[in-house]
Amino acid sequence: MPPLATPPARALPQRESTLFKEVLHHYEDRQLKKGLKAAETILKKFPNHGETLCMKGLILTHMGRRDEGFDLVKQGVRFDLTSHICWHVFGLVQKGQKNYDEALKSYTQALRFDKENMNILRDAAHLQTQLRHYDQLVETRHTLLRLRPQLRQNWIALAVAYHLNGNRTESKNVLEQFGRIVKNVPDYDVELSEVLLYHIRLLEDLGEYKEALALLDTNAKSRVIIDRVAIMEFRARLSSKLQSEDAQQAWQGLIEQNADCYDYYKGYLSNRGIDLDALTDETRAQALQTLRQFVEQFTRAAAPQRLALAVAVGDEFKELLEPYLRTRLAKGIPSLFTDLKALYRDPSKRDSIESVAHALLDSLAHAPDAPCPSNIDPTMYIWTLYFLAQHHSHLGRHEKALLLLDTAIVHTPTLPELYLFRGRVLKRAGDPYGAARWVDQARLLDLQDRFLNARCGKYRLRAGLVKEAEEVFGLFTKKDAPSPSQDLEDMQSLLYLTEDADAHRRNGDYAMALKRYIAIQKIFDDFEDDQFDFHGYSMRKFTVNIYLNLLKWEDNLRSHPAYVHAAIEASRILLRLYDDPSIATKASSQSHLSDADKKAKKRAKKAEKKVQEEAKKASSTSTNEDKGLEAVPPKDEDPDGMKLFQSPEPLERAAKLLKPLSTLAKDNVHAWTAIYDVAVRRKKYLQALQALQQAHALDPASPDLHVRLIDFAQRWKVLNDKVAEKAATVLSSSLAKFISEDVPLERFNSQYLQTHSTRGDSILSAAKASQLLGAPREEVEAAVFNVLNADVGLELETAIAVDAFLAEIQSPRVDEFRAAAKEKFPLSTVFSPHAELPALRKSAIQLAVAEVNAEKEEVIS
Amino acid sequence: MNIRLVRVDDLLGMQACNLQNLPENYTLRYYMYHALTWPQLSYVAEEDGKIVGYILAKMDGREEDVPDDDEAHGHVTSISVLRSYRRLGLAKRLMLQSQEAMATVYKASYVSLHVRKSNRAALGLYRDTLGFTVRDIEKGYYADGEDAYAMRLSLKDLAR
Repeated sequence: MPPLATPPARALPQRESTLFKEVLHHYEDRQLKKGLKAAETILKKFPNHGETLCMKGLILTHMGRRDEGFDLVKQGVRFDLTSHICWHVFGLVQKGQKNYDEALKSYTQALRFDKENMNILRDAAHLQTQLRHYDQLVETRHTLLRLRPQLRQNWIALAVAYHLNGNRTESKNVLEQFGRIVKNVPDYDVELSEVLLYHIRLLEDLGEYKEALALLDTNAKSRVIIDRVAIMEFRARLSSKLQSEDAQQAWQGLIEQNADCYDYYKGYLSNRGIDLDALTDETRAQALQTLRQFVEQFTRAAAPQRLALAVAVGDEFKELLEPYLRTRLAKGIPSLFTDLKALYRDPSKRDSIESVAHALLDSLAHAPDAPCPSNIDPTMYIWTLYFLAQHHSHLGRHEKALLLLDTAIVHTPTLPELYLFRGRVLKRAGDPYGAARWVDQARLLDLQDRFLNARCGKYRLRAGLVKEAEEVFGLFTKKDAPSPSQDLEDMQSLLYLTEDADAHRRNGDYAMALKRYIAIQKIFDDFEDDQFDFHGYSMRKFTVNIYLNLLKWEDNLRSHPAYVHAAIEASRILLRLYDDPSIATKASSQSHLSDADKKAKKRAKKAEKKVQEEAKKASSTSTNEDKGLEAVPPKDEDPDGMKLFQSPEPLERAAKLLKPLSTLAKDNVHAWTAIYDVAVRRKKYLQALQALQQAHALDPASPDLHVRLIDFAQRWKVLNDKVAEKAATVLSSSLAKFISEDVPLERFNSQYLQTHSTRGDSILSAAKASQLLGAPREEVEAAVFNVLNADVGLELETAIAVDAFLAEIQSPRVDEFRAAAKEKFPLSTVFSPHAELPALRKSAIQLAVAEVNAEKEEVIS
Repeated sequence: MNIRLVRVDDLLGMQACNLQNLPENYTLRYYMYHALTWPQLSYVAEEDGKIVGYILAKMDGREEDVPDDDEAHGHVTSISVLRSYRRLGLAKRLMLQSQEAMATVYKASYVSLHVRKSNRAALGLYRDTLGFTVRDIEKGYYADGEDAYAMRLSLKDLAR
């Protein structure tokens, strides 16, 4: 007999009750067909039995009939609102949809009706962690521990919950209790070792260094902790913090174990009171002496030698530099320049490097048309040329770099690095087409090397050759993928998606650019979802320390430069759409798909859909195949990005993209200007002004900030929206701190221009501002042309931005500017007349991919 | 050039390094799975915050087809160094650090890996520099159909 509390609609007679138990068993064993059949039998007699409807819906979901299944589950819940089974199933399905908020609500409901259901409690705990509801998590973990105190992971999970909730002390108490009661631990138990390492970390965080060290030593001796590196690192850190005599020995031991780890040297020196980031004359000498000893002791390690270069100055520096350079140039180490680049912050070191390298080159130079003299090492000669080319290009001396590279290439025409770097120099000098061609030559020297292939693809994208780039990437992507782009997107290649997006954007194909930026956003959403399974998994594996690091990383996920860049650029495109919705319809008619292409695509899509539906019908009830709770992402239904481009609410979408940046990218001026642009259009004036304030705090002279200050002041003047009086006062007074109320905006603008008259980007900003203020186009043009003045430090990017600006305001002086810019940047091709563009694009490809493949086939067969 | 244990912050950099160098690629989840299951085994080479080389390693259970093999062994899922950072011995150093951890933490008796038959450079590293031997040829192991050498190195003298 069912318990009295069961509502009459839930209770089933004997036969159906047995059948229902079968449904549950079949589901657990994933015997989906049987489970479905049993459920349908019950429903014939009891069509409104909530629990059965839910189970049927769950089974259908597993069979791939997700929409149908979800509807049934919802129905089932409505028919039995106090059934823990119904709510549990509902939560499961919502979790599968990654709808964690709703799932947790369902689980919470389920727990109301079955407070001690372990499965539900565990799932709830995972959801609470995912959603960062740590106080709830502590409660749930308490309950789980109370119900099953004999399960080790329940103890650890509770400790972790307290830790996450900010209560390290309570966390420590739980671990201490656990330590007292744990029994029968086998030798070399990795899991217990990890638990102890967590406990020690906790003590270190709490500042209880003595206790931490004691716990470490006891358990290291008894071999309960078996991670030697971790033991040594903890010991070194803790001993240092306790200023114990053993500390030096501990750091020494670490260096002996891994002489290539900078952290260990820093730890060793820091323990002796030497801070490598804040050296005094005295500590500098001490540091150097110590490092020299390490160099002697660890002859094969690079770290102490390199650290010595960072520490030494003056003649001592030169003395250490010469052998360092010489051995590495003789060995032919490609990364030598990037290794030393950090030293260039010190101009005297930079100059020393230049003189030493040139002296070496002079000793190696020989006539190009004669064979290399026997006393000269040709390898060293080439790599010295290469190094100096990198050096000079880094300092903006691109012509000189090219000369050096060309000498090297004549001497050794088969070294890909030379061609790669020649391309890089051209890129810096504003010739993306030449750059792409040279990198392509590098690629052709080793077709098996994906690195060279990836560079070639990237450089084609920088030249705006998206189709050609995809072709070359396709040489290394999966052959059974729908397209190279799709494969790279599936494999989460942020580099590819970013470069491709930027290329489309520069080409003016905003729909495709937006599609790629949104793909990046989606990948970051996936990264966020990835942590979910580890909430349970890491507790089972006891790898607590790294699990906590994972959560921290996830909390800061969208601070990653790829996300920040994608969010900012996507928001700019969305703002274009908002400001001028007609570009969506214009783009559609200019879509690169011809009418014939579109018709063909439609037909193909229809055919594919038909095949899919037939397959679905065939497979839906005929197999037991468990498709799980998570839907497979659908094939790309929007190949040219037009659907996405034409979606509504661009402003809201932009706001959503930018939201994480206000905390995670708060030191990025461009993030704040992007936030401003969206906020001001959404009429959130306080938020807009705050964004400007943040930008100002970071860089008061920022050109992007300047034009927006004027923009805001201007909008504020003519505002006819109703703004609350209090807010209005705040806004007015805050704005007055930037622009005094009695100063006309034109004067504010010209004052800014005067202060920053030698900065190209500031001149452009002032010109944009005067355009905002209604100055006639001729005046704006004249202002912008000042970037060409002799006393102005004009960067290539700024010149490109000016060119774009002149095009935007439809200035008749565009070609005049481009000609003048070309003179300023003689190696550039970005300012070449438009008529030359097709030829330039063609020249960027060294050899068509198809021709190379044909060659390859000849060789193999 | 810093050689150190992998951190969660490094995983995206490892993935990027892998995508630039090798055709065998993985989603971030797979990197997380390695780091969160065997946090002591994966190492990275890092310069100025950029991951320029890595080794992604794990432990494997007993091999089903080798009845007498009931020993735990390490396995290298993936190892590579950016082309611009070669000739520094990074791959060797990364491998040595990982092997040491396999032996001391997990008592691994040997470490295994797969390498493309045509990859002479890698073969040289594993066989000549590190002492791996070829155990087997696995036909069509790679997605593009190329055969792999299944290689193995005993760690018996490293275990303590």
